[in-house]
Amino acid sequence: MKLEKDLVVIDLKAGSKEEVLEAMGKLLIGKGIVKEGFIESILQREKDFPTGLPTEPFGVAIPHTDGEMVNDSKIAFASLKTPVKFLAMGRNDERIDVKVVFMLALKTPEDQLEMLQKLVGLFQDPQTVMEMAEIKDAEQLNELLRNKE
Amino acid sequence: MKKLLIMCGTGIATSTVVKGKVEEWLKENNLSHEVKIYQSKVSDEIGRIDDYDVILSTTLVPDNIRDKVIDGVPLLTGIGIDNMYEKVLAEIKR
Repeated sequence: MKLEKDLVVIDLKAGSKEEVLEAMGKLLIGKGIVKEGFIESILQREKDFPTGLPTEPFGVAIPHTDGEMVNDSKIAFASLKTPVKFLAMGRNDERIDVKVVFMLALKTPEDQLEMLQKLVGLFQDPQTVMEMAEIKDAEQLNELLRNKE
Repeated sequence: MKKLLIMCGTGIATSTVVKGKVEEWLKENNLSHEVKIYQSKVSDEIGRIDDYDVILSTTLVPDNIRDKVIDGVPLLTGIGIDNMYEKVLAEIKR
């Protein structure tokens, strides 16, 4: 389980979830991993079906959208310089402070499933969520993911 | 055989993770042979929600079907899992 170095952003500065989604979406579009229009699609999808998870000690978000917007299944990571509010998944208007974002570019449900399952497992451990927010580079993140397997 | 539907907004990410976890749980509790799992997205299922015996969703569903749906988000956050499985079990055994 490994995240590509180019898809790991440390201390992203953003004032809103929209800015986070745009910055990460741009990164994925720039590499041809997703199609033009991905940003609009993921913004709309986040509005309709929010992806903030109320994990401890702060929230994690896993924004994603329809597989048809994706060329190549990959996962991008960003830690946020300061937390931004995301709406909580499956809740009515519950806002949570998110510091860690995994943007999922998935073509089919099976793609990256193993990775996704592992990540979800890690989100349930507050210590790991804390460490994810504080990593300094892609290598450190991958080491963290490796050690927790 | 009970029909268990797992749904999310796109039918692509969280429902897949939840499906894996529920499959494991069914196996551990010797229920695999009693339950068939379906995976989908909310928009495809709203009109035929009564076809299923148990429904888990990671996304908010419209008010008129909310009573029939169990919140599956605990499987993603780890918070409230036991309570959630109690509800699922009650529906399977009903």
